[in-house]
Amino acid sequence: MMAVLIVLVTVLVQVIVVNRLGLPGGAAPDLVLLAVVGVAMARGPVAGTVIGFCAGLLVDVVPPTAHLLGQYAFVLALVGYLAGRGVGSPVTTVIVCVLIAPLLAAGLGGLISDPRVTVATLTEQIPLTIVYTLIASPVVMWLNGRGGQLRYAA
Amino acid sequence: MGESRRARLILGTLLTVALIILTVDHRTGEGSPFQPVRTAGAWLFGGAEQVVGTVGRPVSDFLHAVASAPSAQNDIKRLRAENSRLRAGLDANRLDAARSAQLKRMLGLAGRGGYKVVSANVIARRGAPGFEDAVQLDAGTDDGVRPEMTVLNGDGLVGRVIQASRSTSTAVLISDRASAAGARLEGGEEIGVVHGVGENGRLVQFRLLDSTAPMTRGGRIVSFGSQRGAPYVPGVPIGVIERVEATPGELTRVAFARPYADLTALDVVGVVVGAPARDPRDAVLPQRGRKEGAR
Repeated sequence: MMAVLIVLVTVLVQVIVVNRLGLPGGAAPDLVLLAVVGVAMARGPVAGTVIGFCAGLLVDVVPPTAHLLGQYAFVLALVGYLAGRGVGSPVTTVIVCVLIAPLLAAGLGGLISDPRVTVATLTEQIPLTIVYTLIASPVVMWLNGRGGQLRYAA
Repeated sequence: MGESRRARLILGTLLTVALIILTVDHRTGEGSPFQPVRTAGAWLFGGAEQVVGTVGRPVSDFLHAVASAPSAQNDIKRLRAENSRLRAGLDANRLDAARSAQLKRMLGLAGRGGYKVVSANVIARRGAPGFEDAVQLDAGTDDGVRPEMTVLNGDGLVGRVIQASRSTSTAVLISDRASAAGARLEGGEEIGVVHGVGENGRLVQFRLLDSTAPMTRGGRIVSFGSQRGAPYVPGVPIGVIERVEATPGELTRVAFARPYADLTALDVVGVVVGAPARDPRDAVLPQRGRKEGAR
Protein backbone atom coordinates (compact mmCIF):
# COMPACT_ATOMS: atom_id res chain seq x y z
CA MET A 1 0.00 0.00 0.00
CA MET A 2 2.80 2.35 1.00
CA ALA A 3 4.72 1.43 -2.16
CA VAL A 4 1.71 2.20 -4.36
CA LEU A 5 1.31 5.58 -2.69
CA ILE A 6 5.02 6.41 -3.04
CA VAL A 7 5.03 5.56 -6.75
CA LEU A 8 1.78 7.43 -7.47
CA VAL A 9 2.91 10.57 -5.67
CA THR A 10 6.33 10.43 -7.36
CA VAL A 11 4.82 10.20 -10.85
CA LEU A 12 2.60 13.22 -10.18
CA VAL A 13 5.45 15.23 -8.62
CA GLN A 14 7.61 14.35 -11.63
CA VAL A 15 5.20 15.71 -14.26
CA ILE A 16 3.80 18.62 -12.25
CA VAL A 17 6.92 20.04 -10.63
CA VAL A 18 10.24 18.45 -11.63
CA ASN A 19 9.78 18.46 -15.41
CA ARG A 20 8.68 22.09 -15.34
CA LEU A 21 11.69 23.37 -13.41
CA GLY A 22 13.66 24.07 -16.58
CA LEU A 23 16.97 22.85 -15.19
CA PRO A 24 20.12 23.76 -17.17
CA GLY A 25 20.49 21.55 -20.23
CA GLY A 26 16.79 20.85 -20.44
CA ALA A 27 16.85 17.44 -18.78
CA ALA A 28 15.35 16.44 -15.44
CA PRO A 29 16.09 13.74 -12.87
CA ASP A 30 13.91 10.65 -13.22
CA LEU A 31 12.42 10.39 -9.74
CA VAL A 32 9.99 7.63 -10.76
CA LEU A 33 12.92 5.38 -11.59
CA LEU A 34 14.51 6.12 -8.23
CA ALA A 35 11.24 5.45 -6.41
CA VAL A 36 10.90 2.06 -8.11
CA VAL A 37 14.52 1.22 -7.33
CA GLY A 38 14.09 2.25 -3.70
CA VAL A 39 10.87 0.31 -3.18
CA ALA A 40 12.23 -2.77 -4.96
CA MET A 41 15.44 -2.76 -2.91
CA ALA A 42 13.38 -2.79 0.26
CA ARG A 43 10.91 -5.46 -0.89
CA GLY A 44 12.87 -8.01 -2.91
CA PRO A 45 12.70 -9.20 -6.53
CA VAL A 46 9.09 -10.49 -6.64
CA ALA A 47 7.47 -7.37 -5.24
CA GLY A 48 10.02 -5.24 -7.11
CA THR A 49 9.06 -6.71 -10.48
CA VAL A 50 5.33 -6.33 -9.87
CA ILE A 51 5.66 -2.78 -8.52
CA GLY A 52 7.97 -1.85 -11.39
CA PHE A 53 5.50 -3.18 -13.96
CA CYS A 54 2.59 -1.30 -12.37
CA ALA A 55 4.62 1.90 -12.02
CA GLY A 56 5.60 1.58 -15.68
CA LEU A 57 1.98 1.24 -16.79
CA LEU A 58 1.18 4.31 -14.68
CA VAL A 59 4.00 6.25 -16.37
CA ASP A 60 2.62 5.21 -19.76
CA VAL A 61 -0.89 6.41 -18.90
CA VAL A 62 -0.45 9.58 -16.81
CA PRO A 63 -0.90 12.59 -19.11
CA PRO A 64 0.81 14.30 -20.83
CA THR A 65 1.91 11.22 -22.74
CA ALA A 66 2.66 10.67 -26.41
CA HIS A 67 4.41 7.31 -26.38
CA LEU A 68 3.07 3.77 -26.65
CA LEU A 69 1.54 1.87 -23.77
CA GLY A 70 3.83 -0.83 -22.37
CA GLN A 71 7.20 0.80 -23.05
CA TYR A 72 7.94 1.83 -19.48
CA ALA A 73 6.06 -1.18 -18.05
CA PHE A 74 8.78 -3.30 -19.66
CA VAL A 75 11.66 -1.09 -18.58
CA LEU A 76 10.56 -0.61 -14.98
CA ALA A 77 9.58 -4.28 -14.49
CA LEU A 78 13.13 -5.24 -15.41
CA VAL A 79 14.61 -2.48 -13.26
CA GLY A 80 12.40 -3.52 -10.34
CA TYR A 81 13.65 -7.11 -10.65
CA LEU A 82 17.31 -6.03 -10.85
CA ALA A 83 16.99 -3.69 -7.89
CA GLY A 84 15.13 -6.33 -5.86
CA ARG A 85 17.79 -8.94 -6.56
CA GLY A 86 20.59 -6.51 -5.98
CA VAL A 87 23.75 -6.09 -8.04
CA GLY A 88 26.60 -6.07 -5.54
CA SER A 89 26.28 -3.35 -2.92
CA PRO A 90 23.24 -1.01 -2.68
CA VAL A 91 25.28 1.80 -4.26
CA THR A 92 26.24 -0.23 -7.34
CA THR A 93 22.64 -1.47 -7.61
CA VAL A 94 21.33 2.09 -7.80
CA ILE A 95 24.01 3.13 -10.29
CA VAL A 96 23.43 0.09 -12.54
CA CYS A 97 19.65 0.66 -12.50
CA VAL A 98 19.98 4.37 -13.25
CA LEU A 99 22.30 3.60 -16.17
CA ILE A 100 20.26 0.74 -17.58
CA ALA A 101 16.75 2.22 -17.49
CA PRO A 102 17.12 5.09 -20.01
CA LEU A 103 19.26 2.95 -22.33
CA LEU A 104 16.65 0.19 -22.24
CA ALA A 105 13.87 2.69 -22.91
CA ALA A 106 15.83 4.09 -25.84
CA GLY A 107 16.54 0.59 -27.15
CA LEU A 108 12.86 -0.32 -26.98
CA GLY A 109 11.99 2.97 -28.70
CA GLY A 110 14.50 2.11 -31.40
CA LEU A 111 12.93 -1.33 -31.89
CA ILE A 112 9.50 0.18 -32.62
CA SER A 113 11.19 2.92 -34.72
CA ASP A 114 10.13 5.74 -32.44
CA PRO A 115 11.12 8.97 -34.29
CA ARG A 116 12.07 10.52 -30.96
CA VAL A 117 14.96 8.12 -30.42
CA THR A 118 17.88 9.36 -32.50
CA VAL A 119 21.63 9.53 -32.10
CA ALA A 120 21.20 12.92 -30.46
CA THR A 121 18.96 11.29 -27.84
CA LEU A 122 21.77 8.89 -26.97
CA THR A 123 24.56 11.46 -26.95
CA GLU A 124 22.83 14.47 -25.41
CA GLN A 125 19.59 13.75 -23.64
CA ILE A 126 20.26 10.41 -21.96
CA PRO A 127 23.69 11.23 -20.41
CA LEU A 128 22.25 14.43 -18.94
CA THR A 129 19.24 12.58 -17.53
CA ILE A 130 21.54 9.97 -16.00
CA VAL A 131 23.69 12.64 -14.38
CA TYR A 132 20.70 14.46 -12.91
CA THR A 133 19.19 11.18 -11.67
CA LEU A 134 22.46 10.14 -10.04
CA ILE A 135 22.70 13.54 -8.35
CA ALA A 136 19.17 13.13 -7.01
CA SER A 137 19.64 9.50 -5.97
CA PRO A 138 21.27 9.96 -2.52
CA VAL A 139 18.27 11.99 -1.32
CA VAL A 140 15.80 9.36 -2.47
CA MET A 141 17.91 6.52 -1.05
CA TRP A 142 18.19 8.33 2.25
CA LEU A 143 14.43 8.79 2.41
CA ASN A 144 14.03 5.15 1.50
CA GLY A 145 16.48 4.09 4.24
CA ARG A 146 14.52 6.05 6.79
CA GLY A 147 11.26 4.52 5.55
CA GLY A 148 12.86 1.06 5.78
CA GLN A 149 14.04 1.59 9.33
CA LEU A 150 10.61 2.74 10.35
CA ARG A 151 9.09 -0.33 8.78
CA TYR A 152 11.47 -2.68 10.53
CA ALA A 153 10.85 -0.90 13.84
CA ALA A 154 7.11 -1.28 13.53
CA MET B 1 16.02 -20.86 -4.44
CA GLY B 2 12.24 -21.17 -4.80
CA GLU B 3 11.90 -17.43 -4.22
CA SER B 4 14.45 -16.67 -6.91
CA ARG B 5 12.70 -18.94 -9.45
CA ARG B 6 9.36 -17.36 -8.67
CA ALA B 7 10.85 -13.91 -9.17
CA ARG B 8 12.27 -14.92 -12.54
CA LEU B 9 8.96 -16.46 -13.58
CA ILE B 10 7.04 -13.31 -12.64
CA LEU B 11 9.64 -11.16 -14.40
CA GLY B 12 9.35 -13.23 -17.56
CA THR B 13 5.55 -13.08 -17.50
CA LEU B 14 5.35 -9.37 -16.90
CA LEU B 15 7.97 -8.55 -19.54
CA THR B 16 6.00 -10.63 -22.05
CA VAL B 17 2.78 -8.85 -21.07
CA ALA B 18 4.50 -5.49 -21.51
CA LEU B 19 5.82 -6.49 -24.94
CA ILE B 20 2.39 -7.75 -26.00
CA ILE B 21 0.72 -4.51 -24.92
CA LEU B 22 3.43 -2.53 -26.69
CA THR B 23 3.07 -4.52 -29.91
CA VAL B 24 -0.71 -4.36 -29.97
CA ASP B 25 -0.64 -0.63 -29.22
CA HIS B 26 1.99 -0.04 -31.91
CA ARG B 27 0.33 -2.17 -34.58
CA THR B 28 -3.24 -0.92 -34.18
CA GLY B 29 -2.26 2.77 -34.03
CA GLU B 30 -5.30 5.04 -33.82
CA GLY B 31 -7.82 2.25 -33.28
CA SER B 32 -5.84 0.76 -30.42
CA PRO B 33 -7.86 -1.31 -27.91
CA PHE B 34 -5.91 0.52 -25.20
CA GLN B 35 -7.32 3.90 -26.20
CA PRO B 36 -10.00 3.67 -23.45
CA VAL B 37 -7.23 3.06 -20.89
CA ARG B 38 -5.45 6.17 -22.04
CA THR B 39 -8.67 8.20 -22.02
CA ALA B 40 -9.48 6.99 -18.51
CA GLY B 41 -5.94 7.80 -17.39
CA ALA B 42 -6.15 11.27 -18.92
CA TRP B 43 -9.45 11.89 -17.16
CA LEU B 44 -8.32 10.59 -13.78
CA PHE B 45 -4.76 11.87 -13.61
CA GLY B 46 -5.47 15.00 -15.64
CA GLY B 47 -8.02 15.89 -12.98
CA ALA B 48 -5.52 15.18 -10.23
CA GLU B 49 -2.84 17.24 -12.00
CA GLN B 50 -5.29 20.09 -12.36
CA VAL B 51 -6.11 20.13 -8.65
CA VAL B 52 -2.50 19.71 -7.54
CA GLY B 53 -1.36 22.21 -10.16
CA THR B 54 -3.70 24.88 -8.85
CA VAL B 55 -2.70 24.30 -5.25
CA GLY B 56 0.99 23.84 -6.00
CA ARG B 57 1.39 26.70 -8.50
CA PRO B 58 3.09 29.11 -6.07
CA VAL B 59 5.44 26.29 -5.02
CA SER B 60 6.40 25.31 -8.56
CA ASP B 61 6.69 28.98 -9.56
CA PHE B 62 9.08 29.47 -6.68
CA LEU B 63 11.08 26.31 -7.46
CA HIS B 64 11.26 27.34 -11.08
CA ALA B 65 12.60 30.72 -10.07
CA VAL B 66 15.28 29.05 -7.96
CA ALA B 67 16.19 26.38 -10.53
CA SER B 68 16.74 28.87 -13.34
CA ALA B 69 19.36 30.70 -11.25
CA PRO B 70 22.51 28.79 -12.47
CA SER B 71 22.13 30.08 -16.01
CA ALA B 72 22.71 33.63 -14.73
CA GLN B 73 25.85 32.67 -12.84
CA ASN B 74 28.09 35.06 -14.74
CA ASP B 75 26.37 37.98 -13.11
CA ILE B 76 26.01 37.05 -9.47
CA LYS B 77 25.18 40.52 -8.33
CA ARG B 78 22.33 40.91 -10.75
CA LEU B 79 21.23 37.40 -9.85
CA ARG B 80 21.05 38.22 -6.16
CA ALA B 81 19.00 41.31 -6.84
CA GLU B 82 16.78 39.33 -9.17
CA ASN B 83 16.40 36.48 -6.71
CA SER B 84 15.29 38.73 -3.93
CA ARG B 85 12.95 40.44 -6.32
CA LEU B 86 11.59 37.05 -7.40
CA ARG B 87 11.18 35.95 -3.82
CA ALA B 88 9.32 39.13 -3.08
CA GLY B 89 7.29 38.41 -6.19
CA LEU B 90 6.09 35.18 -4.63
CA ASP B 91 3.35 37.37 -3.37
CA ALA B 92 0.36 36.01 -5.21
CA ASN B 93 -0.46 39.45 -6.58
CA ARG B 94 2.81 39.91 -8.42
CA LEU B 95 2.69 36.44 -9.97
CA ASP B 96 -0.88 36.95 -11.04
CA ALA B 97 0.12 40.24 -12.63
CA ALA B 98 2.90 38.51 -14.59
CA ARG B 99 0.50 35.84 -15.81
CA SER B 100 -2.08 38.43 -16.70
CA ALA B 101 0.56 40.21 -18.83
CA GLN B 102 1.31 36.90 -20.60
CA LEU B 103 -2.39 36.36 -21.19
CA LYS B 104 -2.73 39.88 -22.59
CA ARG B 105 0.19 39.32 -24.99
CA MET B 106 -1.29 36.00 -26.10
CA LEU B 107 -4.69 37.56 -26.73
CA GLY B 108 -2.98 40.41 -28.60
CA LEU B 109 -1.26 37.96 -30.93
CA ALA B 110 -4.49 36.03 -31.41
CA GLY B 111 -6.27 39.28 -32.20
CA ARG B 112 -3.72 40.30 -34.86
CA GLY B 113 -4.16 37.00 -36.64
CA GLY B 114 -7.91 36.78 -36.20
CA TYR B 115 -7.59 33.45 -34.38
CA LYS B 116 -10.33 32.43 -32.00
CA VAL B 117 -8.52 31.10 -28.92
CA VAL B 118 -9.29 29.43 -25.62
CA SER B 119 -6.72 30.33 -22.98
CA ALA B 120 -5.16 27.59 -20.86
CA ASN B 121 -2.42 27.07 -18.29
CA VAL B 122 0.28 24.43 -18.45
CA ILE B 123 -0.27 22.08 -15.50
CA ALA B 124 2.19 19.25 -16.15
CA ARG B 125 5.05 18.41 -18.46
CA ARG B 126 6.76 15.33 -19.91
CA GLY B 127 10.40 14.93 -20.70
CA ALA B 128 11.21 12.34 -18.08
CA PRO B 129 10.33 9.48 -18.01
CA GLY B 130 9.92 9.38 -21.77
CA PHE B 131 11.45 11.08 -24.77
CA GLU B 132 8.46 13.16 -25.80
CA ASP B 133 8.20 16.90 -25.26
CA ALA B 134 4.58 17.30 -24.23
CA VAL B 135 2.56 19.42 -21.84
CA GLN B 136 -0.82 19.03 -20.17
CA LEU B 137 -3.23 21.99 -20.42
CA ASP B 138 -6.11 22.75 -18.08
CA ALA B 139 -8.64 23.19 -20.90
CA GLY B 140 -10.52 20.27 -22.41
CA THR B 141 -13.45 19.33 -24.60
CA ASP B 142 -15.80 21.23 -22.28
CA ASP B 143 -13.96 24.41 -23.30
CA GLY B 144 -14.10 23.52 -26.99
CA VAL B 145 -10.61 22.01 -27.27
CA ARG B 146 -10.34 19.09 -29.72
CA PRO B 147 -7.39 17.01 -30.90
CA GLU B 148 -5.41 18.49 -33.83
CA MET B 149 -5.78 22.11 -32.78
CA THR B 150 -2.97 24.68 -32.79
CA VAL B 151 -1.44 25.81 -29.48
CA LEU B 152 0.28 29.21 -29.32
CA ASN B 153 1.36 31.75 -26.73
CA GLY B 154 2.04 35.48 -26.77
CA ASP B 155 5.28 35.01 -28.71
CA GLY B 156 4.47 32.37 -31.31
CA LEU B 157 3.69 28.75 -32.14
CA VAL B 158 3.94 26.24 -29.29
CA GLY B 159 2.54 22.96 -30.65
CA ARG B 160 -0.63 21.02 -31.30
CA VAL B 161 -3.22 19.19 -29.25
CA ILE B 162 -3.03 15.40 -29.59
CA GLN B 163 -5.56 14.31 -27.01
CA ALA B 164 -8.37 16.04 -25.16
CA SER B 165 -10.39 14.80 -22.20
CA ARG B 166 -13.26 16.72 -20.62
CA SER B 167 -11.26 19.20 -18.60
CA THR B 168 -7.65 18.72 -19.68
CA SER B 169 -5.76 18.14 -22.91
CA THR B 170 -2.31 17.01 -24.02
CA ALA B 171 -0.23 19.08 -26.44
CA VAL B 172 2.96 18.02 -28.22
CA LEU B 173 5.46 20.89 -28.57
CA ILE B 174 7.17 21.84 -31.85
CA SER B 175 10.49 20.92 -30.19
CA ASP B 176 9.37 17.26 -29.95
CA ARG B 177 11.43 15.11 -32.32
CA ALA B 178 8.30 13.51 -33.78
CA SER B 179 6.68 16.85 -34.55
CA ALA B 180 6.56 18.34 -38.05
CA ALA B 181 4.81 21.59 -38.99
CA GLY B 182 4.43 23.25 -42.38
CA ALA B 183 6.17 26.64 -42.46
CA ARG B 184 6.76 29.54 -44.82
CA LEU B 185 9.53 32.12 -45.07
CA GLU B 186 8.34 35.65 -44.40
CA GLY B 187 7.44 37.75 -47.43
CA GLY B 188 7.49 34.97 -49.99
CA GLU B 189 6.01 31.73 -51.10
CA GLU B 190 8.95 29.54 -50.15
CA ILE B 191 7.67 26.71 -47.99
CA GLY B 192 9.31 24.10 -45.80
CA VAL B 193 8.86 21.91 -42.77
CA VAL B 194 9.78 22.67 -39.15
CA HIS B 195 11.00 19.62 -37.20
CA GLY B 196 11.80 19.43 -33.51
CA VAL B 197 15.36 18.45 -32.66
CA GLY B 198 15.06 18.22 -28.90
CA GLU B 199 17.86 20.61 -27.86
CA ASN B 200 15.73 21.71 -24.94
CA GLY B 201 13.45 23.64 -27.34
CA ARG B 202 16.20 26.18 -27.94
CA LEU B 203 16.31 25.47 -31.66
CA VAL B 204 14.06 23.86 -34.27
CA GLN B 205 15.12 22.57 -37.66
CA PHE B 206 13.66 24.26 -40.75
CA ARG B 207 13.87 22.28 -43.98
CA LEU B 208 13.26 24.48 -47.02
CA LEU B 209 11.82 22.44 -49.87
CA ASP B 210 13.38 24.54 -52.66
CA SER B 211 17.15 24.20 -52.46
CA THR B 212 17.73 27.18 -54.77
CA ALA B 213 15.64 29.68 -52.82
CA PRO B 214 17.57 32.31 -50.85
CA MET B 215 17.59 31.82 -47.09
CA THR B 216 19.70 33.86 -44.69
CA ARG B 217 20.33 34.31 -41.01
CA GLY B 218 17.64 36.50 -39.46
CA GLY B 219 14.95 35.31 -41.84
CA ARG B 220 11.63 34.83 -40.10
CA ILE B 221 9.33 31.84 -40.34
CA VAL B 222 5.56 31.70 -39.96
CA SER B 223 3.30 28.66 -39.99
CA PHE B 224 2.05 27.72 -43.45
CA GLY B 225 -1.23 26.27 -42.25
CA SER B 226 -2.69 22.85 -42.81
CA GLN B 227 -5.82 21.87 -44.68
CA ARG B 228 -8.83 23.39 -42.87
CA GLY B 229 -6.50 24.71 -40.18
CA ALA B 230 -5.89 21.31 -38.52
CA PRO B 231 -3.51 20.79 -36.86
CA TYR B 232 -1.82 24.11 -37.69
CA VAL B 233 -3.50 27.41 -38.58
CA PRO B 234 -1.64 29.75 -40.97
CA GLY B 235 0.34 32.85 -40.07
CA VAL B 236 1.52 32.04 -36.53
CA PRO B 237 5.13 33.26 -35.97
CA ILE B 238 7.45 30.29 -35.44
CA GLY B 239 10.97 31.64 -35.17
CA VAL B 240 14.04 33.43 -36.52
CA ILE B 241 16.67 31.58 -38.55
CA GLU B 242 19.89 31.41 -36.57
CA ARG B 243 22.16 29.44 -38.88
CA VAL B 244 21.90 27.94 -42.33
CA GLU B 245 23.54 24.58 -42.92
CA ALA B 246 25.52 23.97 -46.06
CA THR B 247 23.91 20.96 -47.76
CA PRO B 248 25.49 20.77 -51.21
CA GLY B 249 23.87 18.32 -53.58
CA GLU B 250 20.74 17.83 -51.48
CA LEU B 251 17.20 18.49 -52.65
CA THR B 252 16.30 20.52 -49.59
CA ARG B 253 18.10 23.16 -47.56
CA VAL B 254 18.36 22.97 -43.81
CA ALA B 255 18.46 25.82 -41.31
CA PHE B 256 18.13 26.04 -37.56
CA ALA B 257 15.74 28.60 -36.13
CA ARG B 258 15.23 29.97 -32.65
CA PRO B 259 11.52 29.69 -31.76
CA TYR B 260 9.76 32.89 -30.72
CA ALA B 261 8.00 31.03 -27.91
CA ASP B 262 10.20 30.08 -24.94
CA LEU B 263 9.38 26.37 -24.96
CA THR B 264 11.26 25.70 -21.72
CA ALA B 265 9.10 27.96 -19.57
CA LEU B 266 5.53 27.73 -20.80
CA ASP B 267 2.72 29.01 -18.66
CA VAL B 268 -0.21 30.80 -20.30
CA VAL B 269 -1.00 29.43 -23.75
CA GLY B 270 -3.94 29.62 -26.14
CA VAL B 271 -5.59 26.84 -28.10
CA VAL B 272 -6.89 28.04 -31.49
CA VAL B 273 -10.48 26.80 -31.67
CA GLY B 274 -11.36 28.85 -34.75
CA ALA B 275 -9.05 29.50 -37.71
CA PRO B 276 -9.11 32.96 -39.35
CA ALA B 277 -11.32 33.34 -42.42
CA ARG B 278 -8.27 34.22 -44.52
CA ASP B 279 -4.53 33.68 -44.11
CA PRO B 280 -3.10 36.61 -42.07
CA ARG B 281 0.18 36.18 -44.01
CA ASP B 282 2.96 38.07 -42.19
CA ALA B 283 0.67 40.35 -40.17
CA VAL B 284 1.17 38.50 -36.88
CA LEU B 285 4.99 38.75 -36.85
CA PRO B 286 6.40 41.27 -34.36
CA GLN B 287 7.39 44.64 -35.86
CA ARG B 288 10.86 44.67 -37.43
CA GLY B 289 12.14 47.66 -35.44
CA ARG B 290 11.64 46.00 -32.08
CA LYS B 291 14.22 43.73 -30.56
CA GLU B 292 13.68 40.31 -32.07
CA GLY B 293 12.40 37.61 -29.82
CA ALA B 294 12.70 39.66 -26.64
CA ARG B 295 11.49 37.38 -23.91
